[in-house]
Amino acid sequence: MGLIKIFTKAKCPKCPAAKEMGTELKKEGMPVLHYDLDTMDGLAEASFYSILSTPSIIIEDEEEREVVSWRGTVPTLQEVREYLLPLTPSLSPVLRRREG
Amino acid sequence: MATVIEMKGDYQPFKEEVETTDMALFVRTSDEAMLGWDRQRIVDALIRETYVDLDTAKEIAREVEELIATSKIKMITAPLIRELVDTKLIERGLEQARKMHTRLGMPLYDVDQLILHPNKENANVPHGPEATNLTLAERIKKEYALLSVFSQEIADAHMRGDLHLHDLGFIDRPYCSGQSLEYIKRFGLSLPNSIAMAKPAKHPEVLLAHMVKFAAALQSHFAGAIGWDSINLFFAPYLVGMSDRELEQLAQMMIFEFSQQAVARGGQAIFTDLNLYWEIPKHFENVPAIGPGGELTGKTYSDYSKESQRFAQALFDVYQEGDGSGRPFFFPKPLVHITEKFFQTPGHMDFLHHICEVASEKGNTYFVFDRGETAKISECCRLSFKLDQTDLEDAKQPWKMRYCALQNVTLNLPRIAYLAKGEDAQLFSNIAEFVEMAVKAHLEKKLFIEKLLSLGEKGPLALLAMNRDGSPYLRMPRASFLIGMVGLNELVQIHTGQEMHPSKQAFKFGLKVIAHMKLLVDRFSQRYGMRFVLEQTPAESTAYRFAKLDLKFHSPKSGHIVKGDISKGEVYYTNSTYLNNAAVLNPIERVRQEGLFHPLIEAGALTHIWLGEAKPSKSSLANFVMKTFRLTQNDQIAFSPEFTTCNRCNRTNRGLRSSCAYCGSQDVDGITRITGYFTKVSSWNKGKIGELRNRYRNQAFLKGENDESSGSASLEERPSALRV
Amino acid sequence: MIEIKGFLETSFSDWTGKLCSVLFLPTCNFRCPYCHNHPLIFHPEQYATLSWEDILTRLHSLREWIDGVCITGGEPTCHADLPLLLQKIKRNRFLIKLDTNGSNPQMLEALIEGKEIDFVSMDVKAPLDPFQYSRSTGLPINLKPILESIEILKREKVEYEFRMTVIPGFHREEDIQTLGHQLRVGRRFVLQNFNPENPSDPSLKNIVPYDPSVLKRIEKEVQAIQ
Repeated sequence: MGLIKIFTKAKCPKCPAAKEMGTELKKEGMPVLHYDLDTMDGLAEASFYSILSTPSIIIEDEEEREVVSWRGTVPTLQEVREYLLPLTPSLSPVLRRREG
Repeated sequence: MATVIEMKGDYQPFKEEVETTDMALFVRTSDEAMLGWDRQRIVDALIRETYVDLDTAKEIAREVEELIATSKIKMITAPLIRELVDTKLIERGLEQARKMHTRLGMPLYDVDQLILHPNKENANVPHGPEATNLTLAERIKKEYALLSVFSQEIADAHMRGDLHLHDLGFIDRPYCSGQSLEYIKRFGLSLPNSIAMAKPAKHPEVLLAHMVKFAAALQSHFAGAIGWDSINLFFAPYLVGMSDRELEQLAQMMIFEFSQQAVARGGQAIFTDLNLYWEIPKHFENVPAIGPGGELTGKTYSDYSKESQRFAQALFDVYQEGDGSGRPFFFPKPLVHITEKFFQTPGHMDFLHHICEVASEKGNTYFVFDRGETAKISECCRLSFKLDQTDLEDAKQPWKMRYCALQNVTLNLPRIAYLAKGEDAQLFSNIAEFVEMAVKAHLEKKLFIEKLLSLGEKGPLALLAMNRDGSPYLRMPRASFLIGMVGLNELVQIHTGQEMHPSKQAFKFGLKVIAHMKLLVDRFSQRYGMRFVLEQTPAESTAYRFAKLDLKFHSPKSGHIVKGDISKGEVYYTNSTYLNNAAVLNPIERVRQEGLFHPLIEAGALTHIWLGEAKPSKSSLANFVMKTFRLTQNDQIAFSPEFTTCNRCNRTNRGLRSSCAYCGSQDVDGITRITGYFTKVSSWNKGKIGELRNRYRNQAFLKGENDESSGSASLEERPSALRV
Repeated sequence: MIEIKGFLETSFSDWTGKLCSVLFLPTCNFRCPYCHNHPLIFHPEQYATLSWEDILTRLHSLREWIDGVCITGGEPTCHADLPLLLQKIKRNRFLIKLDTNGSNPQMLEALIEGKEIDFVSMDVKAPLDPFQYSRSTGLPINLKPILESIEILKREKVEYEFRMTVIPGFHREEDIQTLGHQLRVGRRFVLQNFNPENPSDPSLKNIVPYDPSVLKRIEKEVQAIQ
């Protein structure tokens, strides 16, 4: 199962959109973690991924390796789903083929 | 008021009922006069120096006189009398008065040692009469600072080793500074208290002479480094039409002048940084150029690209040659800025290869990475910052670009972890407390410096108060206040049980600590309207001092934590946010991982790559430098080779050896980087010697089949979980 | 399968202009008295064998930085299954540099023809006459394969260099000149200074290396020979 990490700040024009997307994905059952760069934990996590601008979104695989990231921009839900698909075993194309 | 009182030659033993005012005592004063014993002098001193009332003062004076008279002491010194007075103050519970009445000075034994033996606290101080003067003065000013400038709370924190107040011996000066050559180009060399005034230079050699003298003047007004911004560019308008030979000569003069300034303050070379650019930095592109005679040339700096580049090349030609015996120059340090524009500027690859060749052969080059669109200046070794709108406005009149860091306070991070006893909440609140102490120390020093500056051009800091362009030379509102750290690696080790390099979790914890500190200093900056910034303390002696103090106060735990060799006393903590020096980490990982901390450390950070004996290919280094720029957030890197220089045949070869590879003589000196500069290993303190022994120098990984550590040879077992 | 005995993740000095990882293979068919990797040749069993999977994982994690892999030893071409190892590296899209003493021209030619390698650095030990060569390699040497390897490289189907480690007492300046004239490859002939730290023959420890500036001058002169 992949992991979505969303990095935002209190004062940042595009951040509300990113947060909203996080909420949306969470509703769909995706594991989403929010990080606020104005807090110690958020800033530390952002530093680990060299995130210098907000909002940023990172998708990781199970071994916490970065699969894709959007830095300083917000992707569309569609784009995010494309990357999430292969990471989610129940939805992975291989398995779906078998089912079919 | 240092006085020595001694018995007169034909001294008569005291009788029981002697009238003490008739005592045959003479006082030898600091003005080398002999004065007779006079009890009133004790009274005068107490009234002048403390708040005690006249009656108490008289009473104390009489008691002390009696004590001397009845003690059968054969030789009385002024410090002794003062101490006797102090005991009387203590008896009366007058603690504050005793403090005010303190005598600063040094024991005879210490002075004797000092004059005979070299100073190891700062390897940049040679041993000689001038250096001894410096150390003596520093000792007294240090005591003065701790007693009088800082509050008891801060002074005690320093003495305990919770934090380190740097350069206390230079308490009456700011810490380090960044200069603009434009100031002397425009205003000439006109220093307060100087006998002669020089108009703006007309010739490059004269400009250089002005620069060197001004640097020397600044060195006696700052404790630390003096950095010069865009020095090749600002020289450029003076270099038009010069031949290669002339340019080479000028470059040689500049480097030799600054490297041989060991005749300056305390026999100490001026810690000089030259900031160099291959391109014309964006913020100077359209700035009117100042040329010979301080006149505007009618052109902008973009028109001097050729001269600026030729001069940069020439400087590196000189670095490549080394000094008269082929050794690397210790100073001035060349900092080359690598920016997006660098890569868009024609000829950059040749120049990159040139500076990489110098890095490989001599090690001098510092590669400073300024990524993105933000302009940045590195003013001195640890002070660099992004230019904000005000600075960019200043850049149009570059002589205004004078910056300083007022003080440097370093926190003992391992100490925080010992105190927290594994409790997260305790740890983070301790960090906040320590940062707040550092802030308080800064406020106290600022107050003191402002007091000195308020005396203006007649005061002790006249040079910094001089006003030639509408604001004092030292621009206090633009000052930075540095908060550094030592031993993040050990903090993490104590608190989590693991060092940072083998564990991702431990590494992330390290980031959390620094993120916490960063948010704290930002908050304090807002609260006080001052620029508090994190920095990587060079910690030449602090890493040693903290380790020693913790061995004393936090044993036995600290015995397992400090690095180095305890049996030899060669102990240290890992500098700032660095990963363990001994960790088997390839340069890529070190540059990348250490670089993750750099965006949090605003005042400039650096990763060292210890080359040891190896002499890399210049184009491979260039390859590495470009990848570091593109793939990491690392702020600055330097490659450090090691050398052995022979005092008999005057030749220099690579590697640290016990004898000369050419003539076999054992009269050799090892040379390599201690922290931010090259120096002779023989002058290092024990802590840094311990670190030098441990430095990992990128050797091949060969593992003995019978190594205790493991039977099998899985790479996974190497301490490197945090991989690229 | 070849036993890999040493691994250097990042080297700035083994492949000019590139960042490379280095693999060290054991054993050698020469006995050069000045060899500084001799424990790998005489006592390879002292070193643990590294797992190829682990090395590959490391190589992948350095992917963005590392341009290629340098294979050195020992003498890599002593191992009949060297081509297999190289293929495995190639399959992972890394460039390969091979260090060799030129004693196995058949394998060298096959590797070049099969485009298995991207750069060859061949150690040349002395002027190309049997006496001098034998003295430098510590064994009676048949020069024929060495000469063949030189010819193969000079066909320029692969990038190459000839590298000579210069030891005072073994190599006089005129010996270097002689070799330069025999090779006639210009800047592809590079000199490397002797490192007295840990030579195979301990008596060589006292040999004083050439002054680097002298060596630089000689190199410049021999590189002028085309």
